[in-house]
Amino acid sequence: MAPSRVISVPKTDPGAYNPKRPAGKLLLAQAAHLRDALSKHVDEKPADSKEATEILAFDIASIKTEADVSNYTQKVTAILHPQGAKRPGK
Amino acid sequence: MAGIDQLKHIVVLMMENRSFDHMLGGLTQKYPKINGLTGNESNPDTNGAIVKVQQNAEFQSQLDPDPDHHFPGVDLQIFGGAPQGPGRVANMQGFVKDYFSQTNDVNRSHNIMSYFAPENLPVLTTLATEFAVFNGWFSSIPGPTICNRAFAHYGTSFGQVGMDIFYILDPILSTYERMIQGGHTAKLYYYDQPSSTMEIVNLLKNQPQIFATYDQFISDCSGGTLPEYCFIEPCYNDHPGADGAQILASDQHPDHNVREGEQFIANTFNAIRTNPDLWMSTALLIVYDEHGGIYDHVVPPACTPDGYSATADNTGTGVPFNFDRLGIRVPAVLVSPWIARGTVVPGTEDPVNAQIFEHASIPATVTEHFLQGDAKRTIREQQAKTFLGLMTGTMRPDNDCVVFGNLS
Repeated sequence: MAPSRVISVPKTDPGAYNPKRPAGKLLLAQAAHLRDALSKHVDEKPADSKEATEILAFDIASIKTEADVSNYTQKVTAILHPQGAKRPGK
Repeated sequence: MAGIDQLKHIVVLMMENRSFDHMLGGLTQKYPKINGLTGNESNPDTNGAIVKVQQNAEFQSQLDPDPDHHFPGVDLQIFGGAPQGPGRVANMQGFVKDYFSQTNDVNRSHNIMSYFAPENLPVLTTLATEFAVFNGWFSSIPGPTICNRAFAHYGTSFGQVGMDIFYILDPILSTYERMIQGGHTAKLYYYDQPSSTMEIVNLLKNQPQIFATYDQFISDCSGGTLPEYCFIEPCYNDHPGADGAQILASDQHPDHNVREGEQFIANTFNAIRTNPDLWMSTALLIVYDEHGGIYDHVVPPACTPDGYSATADNTGTGVPFNFDRLGIRVPAVLVSPWIARGTVVPGTEDPVNAQIFEHASIPATVTEHFLQGDAKRTIREQQAKTFLGLMTGTMRPDNDCVVFGNLS
């Protein structure tokens, strides 16, 4: 049997990476949604409240870049979905 | 045995903010059945000059600032600036005018008419021409991401036309909840924690058990543990990885690099393609949430309302919206070895045979296939076209189906 056709996929330009890119409206909205979810989570699960309270004290209006968004998103998601920190099979 | 009888898994990958013509319009020259661009489509700019579509789309930096795709802006794009009122005609003539409102630069406003040369998107264009491409898949709302993605998860946005936080009070379950309550399996895979999901206040907060990361998707594909239904979210931002690696946004949202999205689509396809049991029993839908403000020439058709209404204040246009018109057309490709090569699903260009799809088609298809339609659903979802009828009774041989190489 003839082998399958392999389509080569060009690599992304290494210069494309820019965590200092200004955060767009979608990412700012995502941060606002995460904050809202976290505040309700604290009401329902006080055991998670110490770390969450510190995160809630952060003013999301100070988020300017994609690095800022990703940092905030990681912290909130780690509380709402701690299973997401695990590597598959571990 | 027909392919649909073999089907055990439906996988949906939803990308961000690119129109059909921008990504696939260049295919028409070689594949005339694909309803893309002739090269003569145009928009007026703010000086009244005619701006034709241009095959000069770039991977990055061309659509910065981000083109407007909120409800009032999309209304301008569709109706060309005609005042609200009965009898106005959709003409798709307002894209350049609207982008000028972001750029304040007439020459840069022309970039909204750009489209890709097919050879620059070898993953999406290969899948579109090797499997099935939809000429008539539209975003569900002429508006932005959050409300359109809601249609993909629930078959409705519960009256939302924007990015605001909303809580689901109605007894309409997400597709994942329907599946799990029906004794089936379902997952929503986000890329990683720094990227997370766009479905937060209702699903991530209340049902974290339905979520997993993209690494887990790859593992589930190789290990034969993929759920019956799953939805994949790309990476939404550039951020450092745990090991110091540079993680690039792969969602293709302007101004993220389109090539990184090509790599992501290829990785997702290969994860299924390289497991023979999974490949023969899976349908992969690649679709974009909305057009991102970028030009498309096809007028969005009317649709069945979903029973909700957005107020004039919420639409920002001065008039309410009854969810009776679809948003702008987006790329959509269905992949399975049970689909004949070169399948082109007709859209509005062929009124007799047109098959119109939108994001409510996703929960509609999953619910029909796995649950025989047994769920409380909006009338909009009940009437949405399902897409598994494209699967034939013949499975293509392995060497007739492509694989992707040179992946990161």
